[in-house]
Formats: sequence, structure tokens, C-alpha cells
Amino acid sequence: METALTFAQPGLLTQLRRSLSADVLKLKHTPALWLTLGSGALPVLLFGLIFFFKGQFLLKPGQNPWPAYILQSWQTATGLLLPLFVVLLSSLVLHTENKALAWKHLYAQPLSRAAVFGSKLLVLLGLNLLAQVVYAVLLVASGWLLGVLRPALHFADFAAPLGAIVPLLWHTFAATLGILALQYVAALWWRSFAAPVAVGMACTIAALTLMRWEFIDWVPYAAPLLSLKAVGKGLNVGWALSTSGLLALGWAAATLLLGYALLGRRHEGAAR
Amino acid sequence: MKTNSLLVETRALSFGFGPRPVLHQLDLQVPAGSIYGFLGPNGAGKSTTLRLLLGLLPAPAGTVHLFGHELARHRLAALGQVGALIEMPSLYDHLSGLDNLEVTRRLRGLPAGRTADVLATVGLTADAHRPAREYSLGMRQRLGLALALLPDPELLILDEPTNGLDPNGIIEMRALLQTLQREHGKTILLSSHLISEIERVATHVGVLQQGRLAFQGSVAELQRRQQGHAQVVIDTDDAARCQLLLPVDLGGATVLGPGRLGVPYQSAEQMAYLAQQLVLAGQPVYALHCQQPTLEQAFLHLTEPAVA
Repeated sequence: METALTFAQPGLLTQLRRSLSADVLKLKHTPALWLTLGSGALPVLLFGLIFFFKGQFLLKPGQNPWPAYILQSWQTATGLLLPLFVVLLSSLVLHTENKALAWKHLYAQPLSRAAVFGSKLLVLLGLNLLAQVVYAVLLVASGWLLGVLRPALHFADFAAPLGAIVPLLWHTFAATLGILALQYVAALWWRSFAAPVAVGMACTIAALTLMRWEFIDWVPYAAPLLSLKAVGKGLNVGWALSTSGLLALGWAAATLLLGYALLGRRHEGAAR
Repeated sequence: MKTNSLLVETRALSFGFGPRPVLHQLDLQVPAGSIYGFLGPNGAGKSTTLRLLLGLLPAPAGTVHLFGHELARHRLAALGQVGALIEMPSLYDHLSGLDNLEVTRRLRGLPAGRTADVLATVGLTADAHRPAREYSLGMRQRLGLALALLPDPELLILDEPTNGLDPNGIIEMRALLQTLQREHGKTILLSSHLISEIERVATHVGVLQQGRLAFQGSVAELQRRQQGHAQVVIDTDDAARCQLLLPVDLGGATVLGPGRLGVPYQSAEQMAYLAQQLVLAGQPVYALHCQQPTLEQAFLHLTEPAVA
């Protein structure tokens, strides 16, 4: 029978808004949220302690300590910690659905696959950005704290280079997008926590060992570290992306398009 | 069954996992306002059918119609009117019962008051703020049902909803389903392998056997269909002695107990004749009645493998 029921479907933007609102609520009490808020603290704590105890050997006397402090910390964070963070984060966010056997429930709601795909992607992008902003804020705050606790390092004598931090964040954030897209699609496809994490870790380590390779710009897992090429002397950072940054964006776009097309062929036949 | 009152209809629906066929030419017809018991042994294809009805699996052959609209073309609009519980409930263990409902409420853009309503309906208001990981199996099942009820759907699709419930829970679930159907006019498609469950609540039955519908219709129709399996039950003193004394009439009877015999039912006259013959043979007849097959027996007849 043709029913007299209200038989209309919500628009795509409404679906996306609803899905995003639900996905944000699902983050409550999750390891993904704790990882996001806490992971930035690790490199900051590490370099804060190193500079607190050995800063006099790492800085040239009389010079502005901020560029060296920020660059050394940033280099450690982006080389290994940031790619691993993105690998872990994408798997953790999607594992929430795997663990709850929730895919069948999710796709039985009046939501298109595009809305589900887009909403989780936005959550990942948001958490990734939040983690990097938290890291940058903590880094600057730790510099100010060093200025108070170790006046001999002269952090308090120079202004924190806030103007350089924002473009630096832009470069690292853009550089992570290739990894994020690859890991996101892998986690969606496998619907497992361990498999995409293992592949992501292997790719990150491989990228680090291939740093001198002439085509390293093409390896998305190396892009965060390579993004520091955009930093000039005295922490001068422009907005234009380096080759590796542009290629990371290319990887992200291609992977998301291809991944979305592939995932449309995945159905809810299993016990999920 | 008149097709103009069908809320769910499949036409020649077939499905297979790779080379393994699961469903063959299924013509499911769920009338509006019914409780449709979808019966079948484990592995018959019930869950696969329900997944196809929700668009979780693509239908390679045949069509699915919900509310008279083809699912493939109106999936999202149709799902807006459907609440479903497929196999184990999908629960986020790290969230409270309330937050689990809130997630689905947000997904569907429903008014905020709905969560409290459905929590009360399934009797979980007092436990609403406890994490779902602390819920018992029965509570999880009730929360799963609450998720399905949240959008106040016209059609409820429930896959084995009494799984994990204790006897009280099963009785409550049964009462709830009947209330939803009788007082709120909901249509409920209920799969189960427990015939006793379906027998008590269903108005209509579909029996799936190896991916084919072995029967579909009202419960009364099914029982009528099984009249050939009705039997005359005779309560006497000594069943074996009666068989010896009346070898022609009772030679083929089934001994149901020391003093109880079962004879295939033919007619009321046959019953009168048997009573007369037993009395003439000097045997007491304490009771003699025609026993219709239960739904369980009907189900067994329909699903037993065909004898080659």
C-alpha cells in the first residue's frame, strides 16, 4: 500500500549534522578522547625536563631560546609521535563502533553512507587538530614556565613566537591528512583495531628509515617530519605547503574518494 | 492475503553469500497491524531476510517493499518509520543506558523527551545512568528494544528479541508487543526459533525452511492446514489390551501412555464409532477428544526434511 505516512528523507546536511552530534557524544569516556587531550603533553614534558636540567648546553648564550626549543620539540613530535598518534586515533575512533557491534544499527538508521563517512571523518579531523593545538599551547606554556623556573635560559626575555606557531600548525596538520585518510579507510574496511594499527606502525617506521630516499616526498607517513622543511632560519614559517605537504593532501583526497567508492561495496552481512 | 494492506512485501527475493544460496524466491507478506512471527530453525535465513529488509544487504534478485515503496529507491525515508533490533543489541558499553539512547535520538533528530519515554516503557528508568557494561543480558536486550522503539516506528523488526530474557522478562516483552500492536496499531515482524513464543503473540506466521517459505498466513490458517495431523486421543485403562481387542480399529494407533491412545482423526462419526467399540469390548472410556496439532507440531511438520 502507498501509505499516508510522512515519507520524506532528511537532507544530506541534516543527516551529517545528526551523525556528527551522535559521534561527538560517543567520544565521552573513550581512550580516543584521552589520547587526544593527553598525547600532546608527552613531547612537551620530555623537552621541558631536558631544557630544565640541560638547557644551558642546548642553547647559545644570549640568544633567543624559543626557536631552538620549539623546533627540537616539534621535530621529535612530528617524526614519530604524530604519525603514530594519527594511526592510533583513527583505529580507536572506529573501534568504538566495532566493539558495540554498531554498524548494523547505524546503517539501519535514516542516514546515508555519505553522512556516516563524512561525520566520522570530521570527528577525526577535529580530534587531530585539537591534539595539535593542545600540544602547541602546552609547548608555549612550558616555555613560559621555564622562563620562571630557569631564568638563566632567558625564555622570559624574549616574546614567544606565537606568529610562527599558527603557520607551523598548518603545515603539520596538512601533512598528517594523508596518513589520516589512509588509516581511516583501512580501519573502516577491516573493522578491526589491530590490523590498521599494525600496518600504520609498519608504514611509519618504514618512512623513517627511507628519509634519505629521493622519492620520500611521496610517502605520506614521512610528511609530518618533512613539513619542517617549511621552517626558515629564526623560525620563519610561510603558509605555502612544501611538496610533501601538497602530496599529503593529494593522498588524502585520492584515498577518501577511492575509499568511499570501495566502502559502498561493503555490506552488513556479518554479525556487526 | 490482500496485497493492498501489506506493510512489508518481498517479491521473488533471493540472496546468497558467494556461491552459497541462502534465500530462494521469497515472497514475504506482512499485513499492516499484524504481529508476524517469522519462524525457522537456526540457519534457515531469518536474520539474512531481516537484514535485506533494512537494506543492510543488497538484494541481488527480487525486490523489497516497505510501506508500499520500493526499498532500493526510498531506503532512508522508509527507515525513518522502522525500528529494528537485529541479533545482539548494538550498545556502547562505555556509555550509560541513557547516553546509548541519546546517541540514536541524535542520529534520528528526535525530540529530547523520547529517551525518558522509552526508558520507562522498557523499565530501565532506575538504571538509566549506569554504564551499559554493567547491564545484565536481559537489561541489554531491553535497552536494545528501547533503541528500536525510540522513533515510535510504524514497523518494528525484531530478531529474536527474547534472547537472554528470564521468564518474567519474556512475559513482559510479550505483553509489551501485544500492547504496541493492539493499542498503538504497530506492525511487528518478529523472528524466532521458539515456536512457543510466536504461538502466544503472533497473528500471522511465516515459516522459513532452507531459505524457502514453507508456509505463510494467519495462525488459524496454519492450524487448519495441519488438520490432517489432528488425532483422536482416548483415555482408557490399558492401551495395549484395547489394541489387542480391537486390532482393526486400533492396530495402527499410537500408544501415548499406559492408558492413552492416539488415532489419526477422520470425522466425528469415527470418534463415536471408536467409543462404541471400546465400550462393547468392555473397556472403560474416561475421555475421548480430538486434539489439534500445536503450532510447534505444525512447525515440525513443515520444517522436517522431505523424505526422498
